[in-house]
Amino acid sequence: MKLKPSSAFLLSSLLSLPVMAQPPGTKAEVIPITEAIPDDPEVQKVIEPLAAEIKASFGLPLVQAPQGVFRGRRGEENLLGYWVSDVMRQAAQPLVGAPVRFAITNAGGLRANLRPGQLKVGDIFELMPFENELVVIELTGAEVIQVVKEGLLRRGGEPCSGVKVKVEGTPQQATLTVVWEDGSAIDPSAVVKVATTDYLYAGGDSIPTLKKGRKPFTTGVTLRQMLLDQCTAMGKAGKELLPPAPGRYSVPVPILEAIRDKTFKL
Amino acid sequence: MERRTFLASLSAAAVASQVPLKAVDGPAAGRITLLHTNDTHSRIEPFGPGNGAISGKGGMARRATLVKQLRSQLDSVLLLDAGDTFQGTPYFNRYKGRLDYQLMRMIGYDATTLGNHDFDNGVGMLIEAIESMEQLKHRNPPFAFLNCNFDCKGAPALGTRLRPYLVREFPGVRVGITGVGVAFAGLVAPKNHEGITWKDPYESLKPVVKRLREIEKVDLVVVLSHLGYDNRDGAYDDLRLPGQVAGIDAVIGGHSHTFLDAPVKVKQALGETLVFQVGFGGVNLGRMDFALARGAVKAASGAAMPVVG
Repeated sequence: MKLKPSSAFLLSSLLSLPVMAQPPGTKAEVIPITEAIPDDPEVQKVIEPLAAEIKASFGLPLVQAPQGVFRGRRGEENLLGYWVSDVMRQAAQPLVGAPVRFAITNAGGLRANLRPGQLKVGDIFELMPFENELVVIELTGAEVIQVVKEGLLRRGGEPCSGVKVKVEGTPQQATLTVVWEDGSAIDPSAVVKVATTDYLYAGGDSIPTLKKGRKPFTTGVTLRQMLLDQCTAMGKAGKELLPPAPGRYSVPVPILEAIRDKTFKL
Repeated sequence: MERRTFLASLSAAAVASQVPLKAVDGPAAGRITLLHTNDTHSRIEPFGPGNGAISGKGGMARRATLVKQLRSQLDSVLLLDAGDTFQGTPYFNRYKGRLDYQLMRMIGYDATTLGNHDFDNGVGMLIEAIESMEQLKHRNPPFAFLNCNFDCKGAPALGTRLRPYLVREFPGVRVGITGVGVAFAGLVAPKNHEGITWKDPYESLKPVVKRLREIEKVDLVVVLSHLGYDNRDGAYDDLRLPGQVAGIDAVIGGHSHTFLDAPVKVKQALGETLVFQVGFGGVNLGRMDFALARGAVKAASGAAMPVVG
């Protein structure tokens, strides 16, 4: 076996150090795992057939997404999240047999962007690796506004469907306006159906008002399956998947920065 | 072998140039290398293109090679992980974490701890994954699951598999390792951690570290932490931990996916603690070498040596 020059250098340094001159001490480093390191044959032998299995099932084509759908960088709108929450609302309606006015998911649960081109089964798995389930609850209009506010304070706005959200003013003095997507006012006392996930309904990601949801309907449909079904249907109908229009959240940059620094109150 | 000859000639040269060595009169010296990963998230294969700076990096087969190389070069090595092995690729959805743990055993891990995502399929599936790793026929022994702040009274099947700490003896150095996990609230659905109660990690660590130091008489205390590196709004994180629990030499961190270039030294009552974390997805392997004089102050002083490549 041939030693790499750098390893030889380490060994020579170790061996040339006088033992007593070596104080109790450390050496530390980050070793990047790159293609320069060959695969271990024993481990690779286990992975290879499984990788082939995964590729076979996850390489199946779903639908064309010519522009891709992206989460957006900080300060940009999360169009991927908008799309997922739109599909949640749309999928929930037939399941509960009633209009679903609002849907909200958490940006943190969307684990990958959809890159432009042919979408495959594996892309949806990467986007939504979790087993989270679609849940429909009832909230009042006032609670819907509160849910939006909690998502805003936590992450600058969690992706949602059915409303338009506007924050105006300065980090010190801001006002929040939430209206239905058609611009009409939200009646604080009206009871509406809301689609979300079992994770958020259980209190995940700190939108506590979702926990107040009444008459929960657990659909038994995972968000992933819901997205797979939607993409399959669009593909079969010869449609393309396009990102939803922006404009659901309007928040001034200084306020977004204050939210990030956790100095913003509303 | 060429390497042996090379080593022998080097030692001869070293001895010749360093005579007289005083080591014989001094306290026993020990060396230990900690290799570590965190938040590997079912990244069995390397990251594909389109993933920015981490494109093409990672992969468990490469990690296995690197660990083998380092173990062949070094006498005393521990391979550790700070949790969140599960969730992130179709491999997890298909193989439910069994593959991750089995490959970790093949790579030669000594211990890991549990992160929040390791509960994503519930306690039952977690135990199944651990069992499948234990039952694997392989020359490497099964690795340990370390945690001291989960009360598993209501989930005995997991409780019997979680150990509060582990002690490993190497020439000239005894190492104690323990682990702590992040609070479930808001991260793990209640049904997925049924029977397990999260307890304050600082209060849970204090008696364990004391026991490791005073009864187990270890030279080095290592904590596998899934608390996160720096929680701006939380009471518990790796940067606050040393100040709260004295006597820890190294914190191998996870949860926050923090890419550190080198360990951060944090002052504590008995010296310094090295806090380290190497990103996520298995794109890096962390390495911390400790050279100790037995009976000396245990916290590391950070004498730098050249980097191995």
